[in-house]
Amino acid sequence: MKIVLDKICKSFAGKTVLKNVCYEDDFNALAVIGPSGAGKSTLLRIIGGLLPPTSGDLYLDGIKVSFSEKELLAHRRTIGFVFQTKGLFEHLTALENVMLPLIHSFQLDKAEAAERARELFARFGLEEEGHKYPHQLSGGQQQRIQIARAMAIKPKLLLLDEPTSALDPELTAEVLDMLGELQAGGLKTIIVTHEMGFAKKACEKVVFVADGTVVESGDSRQIFTEPQTKALQAFLNKVLEWQP
Amino acid sequence: MKKILAVLLVVLLAAVFSGCSAEKDELVVGMELAYPPFETKDERGEPYGVSVALAEALGEYLGKPVRIENINWDGLIPSLETERVDVVISSMTITEERAKTVDFSEPYAHAYLALLVNRESPVEKAEDLNQPERIIAVKKGTTGHVYAQNHLTNATINALSSESACVTEVIQGKADAFIYDQLTIYRQNQANPETTRAVLIPFQESEKWGMAIKKGNKELLEQINAFIKDFRAAGGFEKLTEQFLAEEKKTFDALGFPWFFE
Amino acid sequence: MKKSPALFYKSISVVLVTVILVGFVWISLVRINHRLDFSTLWAYKYRLWQGFKMTLIMAFASLLVSLLLGSVAAMAQKSRFLVLSYLAKIYIQIIRGTPLLVQIFFFFYIIGTAWGVDNRYLAGVLILSLFEGAYIAEIIRGGLESIDESQFELAKAVGLTPAKTFRLVTFPLLMARILPALTGQFASIIKDSSLLSVIAIPELTQITQEISADNYRLFENYFFLGLLYFVMTFAVSLITRHLERMYKHENSAG
Repeated sequence: MKIVLDKICKSFAGKTVLKNVCYEDDFNALAVIGPSGAGKSTLLRIIGGLLPPTSGDLYLDGIKVSFSEKELLAHRRTIGFVFQTKGLFEHLTALENVMLPLIHSFQLDKAEAAERARELFARFGLEEEGHKYPHQLSGGQQQRIQIARAMAIKPKLLLLDEPTSALDPELTAEVLDMLGELQAGGLKTIIVTHEMGFAKKACEKVVFVADGTVVESGDSRQIFTEPQTKALQAFLNKVLEWQP
Repeated sequence: MKKILAVLLVVLLAAVFSGCSAEKDELVVGMELAYPPFETKDERGEPYGVSVALAEALGEYLGKPVRIENINWDGLIPSLETERVDVVISSMTITEERAKTVDFSEPYAHAYLALLVNRESPVEKAEDLNQPERIIAVKKGTTGHVYAQNHLTNATINALSSESACVTEVIQGKADAFIYDQLTIYRQNQANPETTRAVLIPFQESEKWGMAIKKGNKELLEQINAFIKDFRAAGGFEKLTEQFLAEEKKTFDALGFPWFFE
Repeated sequence: MKKSPALFYKSISVVLVTVILVGFVWISLVRINHRLDFSTLWAYKYRLWQGFKMTLIMAFASLLVSLLLGSVAAMAQKSRFLVLSYLAKIYIQIIRGTPLLVQIFFFFYIIGTAWGVDNRYLAGVLILSLFEGAYIAEIIRGGLESIDESQFELAKAVGLTPAKTFRLVTFPLLMARILPALTGQFASIIKDSSLLSVIAIPELTQITQEISADNYRLFENYFFLGLLYFVMTFAVSLITRHLERMYKHENSAG
């Protein structure tokens, strides 16, 4: 998928979070890394159509994304979004969570939606959890169900906002495994993550965001082995300090 | 902690039980202080009026200090039953119904019911009210209420809690008429000449006012009747009239209506 | 055999509590020399039944109107039109800050008369709804604010329209949170309707007061009155418990 970020800026109540974010590339799996508070989540939400930029343009596969509410609705329906936490409706079961967008955004009838949901659950080993409510599920299960929900709508792009940051380490693996499998199957993803190992192995492109702007970007192989900017070098040193 | 609780409990019980031994040598008089100039309050909120003066005279006669208890109209008779008060002096009409529950003294005054009528209303006399379109305001539990229930069954009767609410409803046209005693109707009409008319001509037998005491209290009943006789003979009622009702007496005389205490 | 003793102690406790409560009331009655006689109420059964129905009608009508009013006020508070938002906030503050009795007199004898609302039944329902609506508005506001923002962001992310978001997300989440408070409010409406007696609406309390003026049996009359109100509020709590089960999802996440 081709993505173009053209001078994207975002401010909230006078505070500038993103300034002149520029990036252009073709990718299958793009990792967004950087220190906390750098604006990564905000950038992801803009790409997903959840927030409009204060200024700047976004292009996906050559088509400009319009931020009028009406067209945003259509845009959001082509994108799957996985949140860091609380990404499921607390008053619905796991299955209902997956079925809801199918029924109400895509006008599937209930039986079809249920069928598709069950298929996905079976594929990812979640059959037992179908009738449970989010608060009865482990963090890892919640994240995997989010991914299933995102996949159910057959999105052209999957966005993930630090999907494993809130998880205990044991559960991280099961989520990353599922992701890896999907990516191998051709799913296009953009993932904000702290999991450098995953970023290195599963994502072929990387963008390093710090202080609200793109400091460095490129192929992941190069980024991790030969960081060009001081900022990225410092960041990687810190992050990889405790990694095996 | 346990000690503190024990002490508190003892103090509480003592307070409760000390409140039980009431003073037995005072005369507790119940009245509803909402009926000027018979039962009302002065500027400092102290009980004041014809019935208050009468009560004090009774106390003097019996040789006991008097304590006035301000009680809602419909709580007066129950307060006799539960001995919260010894006697009720509240311009209360002697009725058969009430006499079933309490004993009444000899009548010490009599009064007639009258109507306060909204100026726009076509009502001229009491019988005119007995139509389905007519709306009557009465105070809950008064003889006006009873009269309406017995004789004006075709009309809508709104029983309100206060005299002022009844008057307001007549003034605002929410009711055709308010049935109450002559004196009050006269005063209210004087106070609201543009919006009301008074129909003061008696439309039934006069109602006799008595002092009410707990059923079976023969001793107190005899004493009170003796008091009323003495008080009347000594010109006590004339003095009360002079003190509280001079203006009204003049008006009643001019209109030819019999006076309360005759 | 652990169940048997537990049940035993429970029954004993229930009996004991009943004895204490009933005994207390009994002793109080003895102290004031009152002989109980509930047969005095039987003669008035027709009027009491009329009053009971009137209370139900007034309370139910007020329930509907106050829910509407409360919802509108809760939303108006958040409006971008400052006039609307201020009006809503002032309404809620003043109505919650003054006694219903005062409001009844003010709105019936002054505002109502000034604007031609003479029908006291209509006035009664409007005044009661105005009063309860302010409390409901606050309950709704509290409920809305307790819903995690993330649920709304999630609704956006899965492509729900604002209308669908309200129906599928906001409403169920709100209901689960406010149903307990709403029951309390429904019970309040039933109890507060008793104050409408001051403008002579022939609901239960007014009828009871009129009967008291007739037969002077305050204890029997008001005890029975209390019992009837309790029956109504208890029925409401049963219905709401059923509703709670419908909307509840065994406690919210987190």
